[in-house]
Amino acid sequence: MNKINREKFTALSFFLSPMILMVVLFYLVPLVMTVYISFTRMRNWNVEKYLTEFVGFYNYQRLFYMFQHDPTFKAVILTTVVFVGITLIINVFGGLALALATFFISEKPASSFRLLWLLPRMSPIAVYSLVWYYFFHGSEIGTLNSILMKLGVISQPIPWGQTVPWGAWSIIIFVNGLVGVSFGMIVFTSALNQIPKELIIAARVDGASAWEISRKILIPLTKWHFLYVLTWQFLSLLTTYPHIFLLVQWDLVNKDYGTTLALYVFNTAFGRGEQDQGLAAAAAVILSIIGIIGGFITLKVLQFEKMMKRPRGDF
Amino acid sequence: MKDVETRPSRYEWVIILAILLASLPLILGFSLLVLSSFSKEMVTNLDLSSFRFTLENWINVFQGKLATTGGIRTNILKVTFNTLIVALGVAGVVTFISALAGYSLSRIDFRGRKHMMVLLLILHAFPGVALIVGVYLLYRLTFPQSPDIIRLYSFFYVILARAALEIPMSVWLMKGFFDTIPWEFEWSGIIDGASRIKVWWKIMLPLIKPGILAVALFAFLAGWQDIIYVRTFLIDQTLATFIEANIEAEYSHMPLIAAAGTLYLLPTIIFFLTAQQILLQGYSGGIKG
Amino acid sequence: MVKIILKEITKKFGDFTALDNINLEIDDREFMALLGPSGSGKSTLLYTIAGIYKPTSGRIYFDDRDVTEIPPKDRNVGLVFQNWALYPHMKVFDNIAFPLELRKVPKQEIEKKVREVAKMLHIENLLDRYPWQLSGGQQQRVAIARALVKEPDVLLLDEPLSNLDALLRIEVRAELKRLQKELGITAVYVTHDQAEALAMADRIAVIREGKILQVGTPDDVYYKPKYKFVGGFLGNPPMNFVEAEVENGYLRVYESRIPVPAQYKGLIEKLDIKEVLLGFRPHDAEVVKGISEGLVGEVYSFEPLGREQIVTVSVNSGAFVKVFAPEGEHFTFGEKVTVKIREDRIVLFDKKTEKALEFLGE
Repeated sequence: MNKINREKFTALSFFLSPMILMVVLFYLVPLVMTVYISFTRMRNWNVEKYLTEFVGFYNYQRLFYMFQHDPTFKAVILTTVVFVGITLIINVFGGLALALATFFISEKPASSFRLLWLLPRMSPIAVYSLVWYYFFHGSEIGTLNSILMKLGVISQPIPWGQTVPWGAWSIIIFVNGLVGVSFGMIVFTSALNQIPKELIIAARVDGASAWEISRKILIPLTKWHFLYVLTWQFLSLLTTYPHIFLLVQWDLVNKDYGTTLALYVFNTAFGRGEQDQGLAAAAAVILSIIGIIGGFITLKVLQFEKMMKRPRGDF
Repeated sequence: MKDVETRPSRYEWVIILAILLASLPLILGFSLLVLSSFSKEMVTNLDLSSFRFTLENWINVFQGKLATTGGIRTNILKVTFNTLIVALGVAGVVTFISALAGYSLSRIDFRGRKHMMVLLLILHAFPGVALIVGVYLLYRLTFPQSPDIIRLYSFFYVILARAALEIPMSVWLMKGFFDTIPWEFEWSGIIDGASRIKVWWKIMLPLIKPGILAVALFAFLAGWQDIIYVRTFLIDQTLATFIEANIEAEYSHMPLIAAAGTLYLLPTIIFFLTAQQILLQGYSGGIKG
Repeated sequence: MVKIILKEITKKFGDFTALDNINLEIDDREFMALLGPSGSGKSTLLYTIAGIYKPTSGRIYFDDRDVTEIPPKDRNVGLVFQNWALYPHMKVFDNIAFPLELRKVPKQEIEKKVREVAKMLHIENLLDRYPWQLSGGQQQRVAIARALVKEPDVLLLDEPLSNLDALLRIEVRAELKRLQKELGITAVYVTHDQAEALAMADRIAVIREGKILQVGTPDDVYYKPKYKFVGGFLGNPPMNFVEAEVENGYLRVYESRIPVPAQYKGLIEKLDIKEVLLGFRPHDAEVVKGISEGLVGEVYSFEPLGREQIVTVSVNSGAFVKVFAPEGEHFTFGEKVTVKIREDRIVLFDKKTEKALEFLGE
């Protein structure tokens, strides 16, 4: 190694080693451990007893069997599919709609609304869950129930979250939808602001309405961002669970039809009662495989490589 | 000049009204919570007659009295302090690491740079739940024997583990901020004979102060709002686990929980009022392209 | 095909006054140039005519119709931007067709009209391309075609040539003027390039700091500037100014004396003015060797320009004047010379207000 290379190496290790250490400790090692656990009989975190007890593909066979015969697990899979599908649509189109709507109004109310819609993402998860706990509560203290009763739509309070499957699904979709909308809104807003304003003015002079400008100019010019939000949101919905966790924990929504696969993994590993880390790890591995494949497709579709230009000024 | 000024303003009002309508549940939910914290009874049923103003809930929260009867007490200041430690710890670790790594990914050309950036993106999208099982096993395996430091270790571990989740996005964000600094600043330093480390410390860091602030803010909020990692790893209670436990508890006085929730929401509100621009821009920082 | 009348237009952005009580009439079929330095408010005025900005006070009329509150689409104006604002995701054809599509014109008619206007601007063969596949000059034509296709009453152009290179600019400006006359359309043209304004416009409005300083034909604003600023802004090199004192029928400049021009004799007496600025164009004077009647000075520098040369003469310690001289005449640095000015082309300004004496009463 000559002098220049040695200097570069010193600098690089200074800059990168803390990050690499973190990635190894909290991503790579845990990942290997999760895969390892999925091949053991680990339960109730009884490390001393089960850490070395190999069972081969037994946990995966159990998962497959449950997928075919266990109604609870079937409900979880169905919930995951419905939840991801509908929430994704709400996230992408809700975000786009909010970005477009706030694009066409004055800056002051626009940024107030954008800020307001950041609230779900920025709030502590426990507070956010608390808000919806009261809003959808199954008794008459629930805000939704009391509104509907005051309007005379219903005469008895409805336990929304225990109404399966659509009551429970609606709640978890709604609660997560609000969190995800802000992501789409922020991405689309920044994309819209990068479009030269003359294009919009020119269209206005030619007689285009806000709707026509959106449809014919703004939306076609934000295609890339649309794909970005779509794919990224898909991946995060597939793996998200913190915002549903308390809703299920507090019995606001039905346990079976309020639980997605990611939450199932968490509750199986850390939940109340009998814990089965071997099974949870196996489900986690399957979830990860879906996630990684999705991630690579995302990178290819979005051509992220183009963003990784070499630093132009480094000798 | 974003749009023509002579456009009819009634359309604007229609749009504003539509957004307002869509935001109604959000506004309603949060304001009822805050309102209830000042009331003798919960006002979530929209019945304003049940709102009777009182500061009792807030007083009780700070005194740690959880139930209106009986002697159940929790030191809420201690709980808030625990939450703060986790949030500040996460913010510190994330900011430090991403300021280092973001610089080298933005400014130094080395083999494997591109792969490292792809890896970070994949890690960001990686299912957190698949990791947490392994992260917990690592926790169990590294658990200290001496009981004196167990609680300290749990703080240490939850901060690092939670910070790790934020690292990929923060590094990308920080790289984006470094990208905006003209090379000339750096060249002038290098020509004067400064090492890269010195250039980073003396020239670049002062130039990206707004970026550092943004990353720190986001990391702080991430640590502050977390419930999953805190309840899995931390032995002590934070505001999140406090609320989680007390919704289920029979003895809890609900408006008191609302007060605790409002207290927990306070930093978010403060950032909303003081750092709007950073919040609105921060999310788009990593994806400009 | 309308007459545009601006009455007492004021436009404020917060505390900043961009347009200050503008009064202007633009005749039917007229080519009006709004000329001024950057930040003078000329584009703001154009956008106010277009309806993009709403004036803080004042009214705008198209013929008898008050359009002050009317959105741009109902004013039937065509607008060409400095950066042309072509839609990057649409082909040239769709770009030009866009205004017609918005008006729900039948497909066949759109096709016909787009081809017509494309032919007029010589871009028929580009209809199938995307904007990024075109050169600057071609993009500019597409932008004009898009503005013209809806047969607007008024064509508004915001520095449409400033993104073109110098040679192309001169070519296009002749063509643009011919097009405007052929179509018989009212045109308002914003530019900071005085040569462009002089070459194309029927009338020029010179704008500075949100105020119109002078409106007139190119000859008017060139030879009879109302303000020192107008004289200094138009022409290349611009008008010369030297301070002079009035002394019994003479203008004294440092050590030289020239008689008060005939056209100013009465005015100076009437106004009883002592200190003036003497203005003249570089080609309205000649440099004579040696000391004689006129502005006496020394040759400071000379720049041959091919057919002619510009001689800079230092007429006293601080003041320089530029004068055109024929090629072949030889000068040396520091040589004593006299600048003889064409008397009838002299313009005198009040030193304090910098306004031409003949307009001082206004």
